[in-house]
Amino acid sequence: MLAACSFVGLIGFWFSASEFGLVSERFLPDPWTVLVALYNMIMERGFLEDIWISIARVWGAFLASAIMAIPLGIWMSSYRIIGMVTEPIVDFIRYLPVPALVPLLIIWFGIGESSKIAVLWMGTFFQLVLLISDDAKRVPSEFIETGLTVGAKPRQITWHIVFRSMLPNIVDNLRITLGWCWTYLIIAEIVASNAGIGHAIWSARRFVKTPEVMAGILTVGIIGLLTDQAIRFAHRRWFRYL
Amino acid sequence: MVSLFVSADMSQAPPFLRLTSIEKSFLSDEDGTTPVIDNVSMEIDSGEFVIFLGPSGCGKTTLMRIVGGLETCDRGEVFLAGEKVAGPDRKKGMVFQAYTSFPWLTVFENVKFGTRYRDDIGEKEKEEIARHYLQLVGLQEFADFFVNRISGGMRQRVAIARTLAANPDVLLMDEPFGALDAQTREFLQGQLLEINRREKKTTIFVTHDVDEAIVLADRIVIFSARPATIIQSIYVSQFLSGDRTIATKETQPFFELRNKIRDLMREQAQVTRELAEKEMIEMNEGERA
Repeated sequence: MLAACSFVGLIGFWFSASEFGLVSERFLPDPWTVLVALYNMIMERGFLEDIWISIARVWGAFLASAIMAIPLGIWMSSYRIIGMVTEPIVDFIRYLPVPALVPLLIIWFGIGESSKIAVLWMGTFFQLVLLISDDAKRVPSEFIETGLTVGAKPRQITWHIVFRSMLPNIVDNLRITLGWCWTYLIIAEIVASNAGIGHAIWSARRFVKTPEVMAGILTVGIIGLLTDQAIRFAHRRWFRYL
Repeated sequence: MVSLFVSADMSQAPPFLRLTSIEKSFLSDEDGTTPVIDNVSMEIDSGEFVIFLGPSGCGKTTLMRIVGGLETCDRGEVFLAGEKVAGPDRKKGMVFQAYTSFPWLTVFENVKFGTRYRDDIGEKEKEEIARHYLQLVGLQEFADFFVNRISGGMRQRVAIARTLAANPDVLLMDEPFGALDAQTREFLQGQLLEINRREKKTTIFVTHDVDEAIVLADRIVIFSARPATIIQSIYVSQFLSGDRTIATKETQPFFELRNKIRDLMREQAQVTRELAEKEMIEMNEGERA
């Protein structure tokens, strides 16, 4: 309720700022103009297709990095040797600014879909793997020893106890990581793409079509908000015991 | 002649649980090792309830973890039912001081988890066993509760039921009531006596609470300050006759035995304090040097 109010308040502020001429039309068009621009983009320029392409890229890369990061993160914490070998590498790459890697990734992967996925993957996998490994370390050792003394095999302990115990945290971390994906996606699409929301924003900029730029940004925001709320809702449903 | 032979043979039967000259040191940061267990041997009969009693930090928990296969020792061996203990498994059930019921499972599911890795029985039997032990600890009305909705005492009852459901050869309990308030603790002691009478599980129970030890134990093994050695073994039935209940704590023989053990413990506590003080002084000097 309060969240909805603050959102309405933000739009109200935007509305009055542009309506009373506090800011020039050219820099900040009013919400109505932006909505009209959004409508036109969808009807005339196939913006819906751009949206779908962007969503597909984000989820593709996000799922790829989650599927790899979850087992690796857990193994890093349960087997010291894996942790010792991988942690320096992960830390090194984690600190590289992803936008700086974009040119390199384009040279490696071309300008097709794979380079976009690679950018998103680079930006999220290495962060996620550390978050997961930290969560795994926080699983009480008594949980693991309980598993051992009721006869569970190491593999069963990993999945039935460690993974299950950290699952609520994993879902939270995935939710946060999904947000980063959108940031990296727009960067990737601006630099090298001929489709997607980022591309639409960038082409609008070239003709100083501020309403269209705003419409693109707004779209990303709304998608983000909806996914985030959906995951939060699922989190409450799945983890009633918390 | 023959019968004599048989009885002689019976008395020679290997004990159910045997510890032979266990020694263990921990690596300390600079100058090598700190001995925690020094040459401990003992034999425990099937169905016996043995208490490890000793000052805090003396190594009694470590010794029990060695029996459970959760920790290795530098010297000596543990044999359970004729087999050498080489690691943790379902034969050595463990109840910890920390709450270990899984929050994502209900009370019933937690108890049933004890049977999850048993391949000697089918699914239907697992349900029955879980229900049986849930009833034994008196939690059947809370079967569908998640564990964050129940009290600490109840969580320990869940842990006990889960461990028993796994049908271990020996039940290892590491100060299971240590984090509970006095009333709950006493209630659980009474309940454990009852469970023990019915299940007759070979049990090792670690505590530093003398009253708890006397009420529960067939035999109390008193350990010295670190490194742990056995100071004395006391068979409680030689001092207290008949079935024990919580009310036993109000009897004259109980007081006498308690005072006897307390005196022994007090000496040990003194040694521990001196040891700790010496260590502190050494550490301080080490830092200054």
